[in-house]
Amino acid sequence: MGKRDYRDEMIKNETKNINFLQKCFKEYYFNKFKHLESPLDISRREFGFMSFDSKMTRHISFINMGQLNAFLIQNVPAGIYISNSYYDFPTFPINEKRLIGSDLIFDIDLKDLNLPCQKDHTYYICKYCDNISNNLPSSCSVCKSTKIDSTIIPCGICIRNLKNETKKLISFLVTDFGINHKSIYVYFSGNNGFHITALEKDYFNLDSKGRTDLVEYLMGKNFSVTSLGVTQYKNNLKVKIPISGLSYGWRKRISKNMKLFNITNNSLQKYVNRVGGYLLFKKEVENITGKMGVKIDPYVTMDIHRIFRMPGSINSKSGLSKVKCNNLDSFDPFSDACLFEDDRNVDVDVKTRLEFRFKRKKYILDKCSTTVPSSVGIYLVLKNLANLI
Amino acid sequence: MGKDDFAKYPFLNEAGNFIKETYFDLDEFERPEFRHIIEKARKRVEYEVLKGIVCTEFEKYDLELFAFLISLIIIKHINIESITKKYSLFEAMRVEKFLTHDLIYQTNSKKRDLLISKIFHELLDLQIIQFDSQRNIFKMKISDYLSRSTLFHELEWKLINRSVDKGFVYLDVEETVRLVRNELSLLIYNKIKNMKITKIPDQIKLEADSIKHKVIFPTPVQTKNLKFPPCIEHALNQLNKNENLPHSARFLLATYMLFYGKSIDEIINIFKNAPDYNEQITRYQVEHLAGKKGSLIQYSVPSCSKLANENLCFYTHECKGITNPIQFGKKRLQRRND
Repeated sequence: MGKRDYRDEMIKNETKNINFLQKCFKEYYFNKFKHLESPLDISRREFGFMSFDSKMTRHISFINMGQLNAFLIQNVPAGIYISNSYYDFPTFPINEKRLIGSDLIFDIDLKDLNLPCQKDHTYYICKYCDNISNNLPSSCSVCKSTKIDSTIIPCGICIRNLKNETKKLISFLVTDFGINHKSIYVYFSGNNGFHITALEKDYFNLDSKGRTDLVEYLMGKNFSVTSLGVTQYKNNLKVKIPISGLSYGWRKRISKNMKLFNITNNSLQKYVNRVGGYLLFKKEVENITGKMGVKIDPYVTMDIHRIFRMPGSINSKSGLSKVKCNNLDSFDPFSDACLFEDDRNVDVDVKTRLEFRFKRKKYILDKCSTTVPSSVGIYLVLKNLANLI
Repeated sequence: MGKDDFAKYPFLNEAGNFIKETYFDLDEFERPEFRHIIEKARKRVEYEVLKGIVCTEFEKYDLELFAFLISLIIIKHINIESITKKYSLFEAMRVEKFLTHDLIYQTNSKKRDLLISKIFHELLDLQIIQFDSQRNIFKMKISDYLSRSTLFHELEWKLINRSVDKGFVYLDVEETVRLVRNELSLLIYNKIKNMKITKIPDQIKLEADSIKHKVIFPTPVQTKNLKFPPCIEHALNQLNKNENLPHSARFLLATYMLFYGKSIDEIINIFKNAPDYNEQITRYQVEHLAGKKGSLIQYSVPSCSKLANENLCFYTHECKGITNPIQFGKKRLQRRND
């Protein structure tokens, strides 16, 4: 087949997939609208919608959930987004919206964790001919196109690591930032991560610069050994613990990690010399901050004009919903976030051999046509790993 | 609070009330017996505005208080924005020195608490709590800290380099006072701006005019013939007006000029108009950005979205389609060629 034939075939498949998905999404928003979490102060929030042909429309607002419901049934978007910021005029262009304040929001995503298992369940899909390979090719082995997409089916290890990172973030927010545990809400993003929202009035008016500093704190970035009292001037090491001490925050974390207790200038100086001097001490500190920092997507928190997938809405990259996790330990995204009814089966053409768990059932699918429950069909089509027949 | 405190912190309402109670009349400064006050005020202004040195001289409280008042009148009469700003900044630095000293050495806890309450709580609306009186440690909410610390660019002010616990930042006296310098400066600036004087005594006018003649104005950066993106133009205009640019704007300006091949000296020259200009520090920072100092990495110009987040974007229709200020000329040129 030539490139053009592949393209025609893909357009045909895409149309079929989109018709199927639109029908399922419409049913969801008609029958399960109650799953959409009613946001605080809805009329002050900006909404955005992604269509099935990936066009984004922003600067929309609703005065109540009923109005949103009507909009969804009429327009059936692929993605529903809402701002974490509150505005006087949410429908105006960004510079004219008049910001009231913004909730703190964090994104923990699989892509930022760099887990070794990730390569085992990442699929590379040619944009032209749908050919799938398990390793990133420089060009497609079938049609030679260089336009390659990737998709991930997270495994148990991925989910466990995401949960641990989320817990690490919560611990920072409670211990260092004094945010009440009850004000922190954890959501499964609907695809490969968690969104964590902190509704804390003290940080509501923090501007983007303040949020950037806060993010750097959480990630362990820009730590200076001077803040431990260790400096070097013209090759001479100088140790003088700051007046504000080493009992809190990163200073405490680092000294504890180095097993330094009841530190004095003398003991710290000895420690620096023991590790091999200023530069090696600095290196060790960098390792500690890198290891202990939380792996969040910094831009998500820094950008106060961003819009986020609305809790309860369907993630158009997976068909799973963004849902609140009341118990993070027991939360299973492939069961608790799958809110589509399996009232029918669908026939799909699976593009590659797949092994995954869904709704507490293990699926081993070969590269061929098969019949699966509709929720599995939606998942595979949106993951770009199957086409609807 | 004592009368000495009024002289050290002359922007306090109590200091103003004290002056009112003396029934002082500005016309009296025409009399020769008050010449020494005008002379003191002139020296203070010359020190700070012309020499760029913080005047920490402190004599008798009434002399200091009236000298402050006269110096404000001198600045008002000079009526040059850059001078008003520079004077306000240096006066804030003077206050900073007194305040640091008093918070460390004031042994009377009631007096100390009153000072904290008057300056930090009432005047600056900043709730600081003395956490450890032995070590002179104060604590404040993280959000209060961040709203001020992000104006500084030194690594030490990053939250990660601070003692942080349960929503609070712990700072020693010097750090606490340094954190509010900009606010103190603004307070003094507003005092000058809001002064309403119908008639200035000739002697004060004379001194003000003599200082005005000694002021050397840095050459403003020419922007008219060159087409800069609006964010750069705004930063340059601010500098030409001697505004104290935030770090992020200075970063933008320097990286942009470096990208367009301006020399280190040319860039330093641009920053000469900043009220807190210090050639040594500016040179180090520009060289650092150019990758000639520190990490040896040349910094790139921040993207439009980052600038928008930092309120440094001044979008016009000419910016359409660009994602970084460096694309401004090119895209415009391209469109023209199309």
